[in-house]
Amino acid sequence: MAKNIRKALKDFWYGKPHTAAEGGRRLGDLHEDKTNLYKHREWRGVRDTMYYFYMIWLYNYIFMVKDVMVMGGLINFAKGVWRYRWVGQTYLPVLHWFDRGLEGMRGEAMKASAWHYRAMVSTTIRQFQRMFAADTRLHGGKQNDLYKHTIAHNETVWGGVFYPWDGEITNVPLEMIPYFVTCHVNSHTVLNYIDAVQSIGLPGDPCPMCQAESGIFVLDDVPDYAPAVITCNEACDASVSTSTLQDWFFDKPLFSLPMPMQFDDPLVKKYCAREIEELWKFVEEQYGIPFSWEKLVHKLELQNELQRFEWEKWEVAGKTDYYPVNGVAQALYRIYQTQYGDWEIWHVTDRKVRKILEKCVRKKINSFPQTRHRVIAWSCAPLYYSNWCTWAYNCWGLNNIINMDSLMFDMEIRTDSYEHTLEDMAQYHLWAPMRRMAVGGMKHMFELWEYMEKFNCDMVAMYDQLQCKGVQGLHGLFEDEFRDRNIKAFWIPHALPDSRTVSRAEIRRLINDYMTTVMHEEPLDPSLLDFDDSMTW
Amino acid sequence: MKCKFGKFLLKLLGVGLVLNVGLFCVFFFDLDGKLLFHVVEPFLKNHYDNMERKDTLKAPYEIDKFPKYSYDS
Repeated sequence: MAKNIRKALKDFWYGKPHTAAEGGRRLGDLHEDKTNLYKHREWRGVRDTMYYFYMIWLYNYIFMVKDVMVMGGLINFAKGVWRYRWVGQTYLPVLHWFDRGLEGMRGEAMKASAWHYRAMVSTTIRQFQRMFAADTRLHGGKQNDLYKHTIAHNETVWGGVFYPWDGEITNVPLEMIPYFVTCHVNSHTVLNYIDAVQSIGLPGDPCPMCQAESGIFVLDDVPDYAPAVITCNEACDASVSTSTLQDWFFDKPLFSLPMPMQFDDPLVKKYCAREIEELWKFVEEQYGIPFSWEKLVHKLELQNELQRFEWEKWEVAGKTDYYPVNGVAQALYRIYQTQYGDWEIWHVTDRKVRKILEKCVRKKINSFPQTRHRVIAWSCAPLYYSNWCTWAYNCWGLNNIINMDSLMFDMEIRTDSYEHTLEDMAQYHLWAPMRRMAVGGMKHMFELWEYMEKFNCDMVAMYDQLQCKGVQGLHGLFEDEFRDRNIKAFWIPHALPDSRTVSRAEIRRLINDYMTTVMHEEPLDPSLLDFDDSMTW
Repeated sequence: MKCKFGKFLLKLLGVGLVLNVGLFCVFFFDLDGKLLFHVVEPFLKNHYDNMERKDTLKAPYEIDKFPKYSYDS
């Protein structure tokens, strides 16, 4: 009896232990069937529960309202929610996106990962609020001053190409918020857009990302927020069709910034540098605002600062057990930051995370003490289940240390001369998402082995985007290499944003099968092995 | 005067406490999630599903609408 009371008190104060062997916390039991809503949220011990309640849940609700009020106002937000499905259906349950990514996290890992989420939320609000504040559809057809100082572009066009107009023209990607981020937060929304594009007779087998990006236009769900647009082929032929549909439906002066399929060739880099210069000329002509070299250099140096801190993080992640950021926070924050470009909130977040990181190293705090395998994730991740790695750590002790998307832009940009800067910017553009290490040729795809060693990983989570024709051909090559090199690897098939092709439950089943039949391991938390979350966000 | 200020402080503490406990219950029992999932999202979905939308396919594709863009030689 006394022993039971002591254990109950200990569990109350510190939270239940992770593993079944220690009388574990059984995270799977916290959820309702199908919807995956919590019967009650997790009790993480007094200190961590209070931190989660005040500094994550309440803090983020309050700051979301504050961000909405400061960046465009409540009226524009309300109008936007009423008009556009992708914002209304998606962004209200954002705290559940936090819950899914941070489930089971304790102490410094919970704190550092949550700061990454906070930065992404703030940047997301900034973008959709700018869209709504400038949107002619929400303002009786009027082209206001914000409209005249906003430029729309494809989400794989790096925001850095607009640095020369910092403070004068705001760049807002067309698809990053209506498509990309929605898939992570509420995977239901995007299905409307995929179905819409197929309903007009387009085939269902190309990349569902391109389908969804076009579907937003087919359903007339794109704000009219800018006088001109920059498109991009995203290093993928399906995206060329997206650009054509965007040209048709958006009906604006358009500049197409190509992403050449060949890209290790110095002549191609020269060609790409010239394309960037042409883009600058296009922006000057459309907006009548001159290019500023000083602004470009200033912003690139700020971006280089972010890159240098990222290298410090990688150093800790690769060489120690004290890295306090979980796999999903690392992956999403990094791709968001590198693709969107420099912005104040990244620096604020990095300062907070630096403090946590330094504390972990100084005090030798292992935030993932149940790690059995250090995993590197390679290729493009399922957007509807980017938090699979949180589940994998809680269930199996698979600690996703780093992922391909974080490593793509592994470079600083020189600012010592115009030629060097342009050359490096071309290189950065060429190393685009879903490109360098996904369809960028053998040399880059097989950089996996180097990074595996650098990050001291002993296992690979290999994503298999079933509708990417570029990656499909590589499955067998990787299989052969894994065998030859005696590397432990499991596959995660998926259809990027479309959760109907391979469900989350199927992904979990494949990992469970690998861990039991190949690795002969027992789960840390058996309640997470099999559950029905088919209706969840 | 002191007594009035004390009462005000006590009231403030009481309101703060009730607010904290109430919010904690919302948080702990995931009442925000349940409200959003069962009430707000279905309501909004119904609204979006029944919205009148422009038939974008009827828009002409005027590829010559804007001047041709040419590179500097």
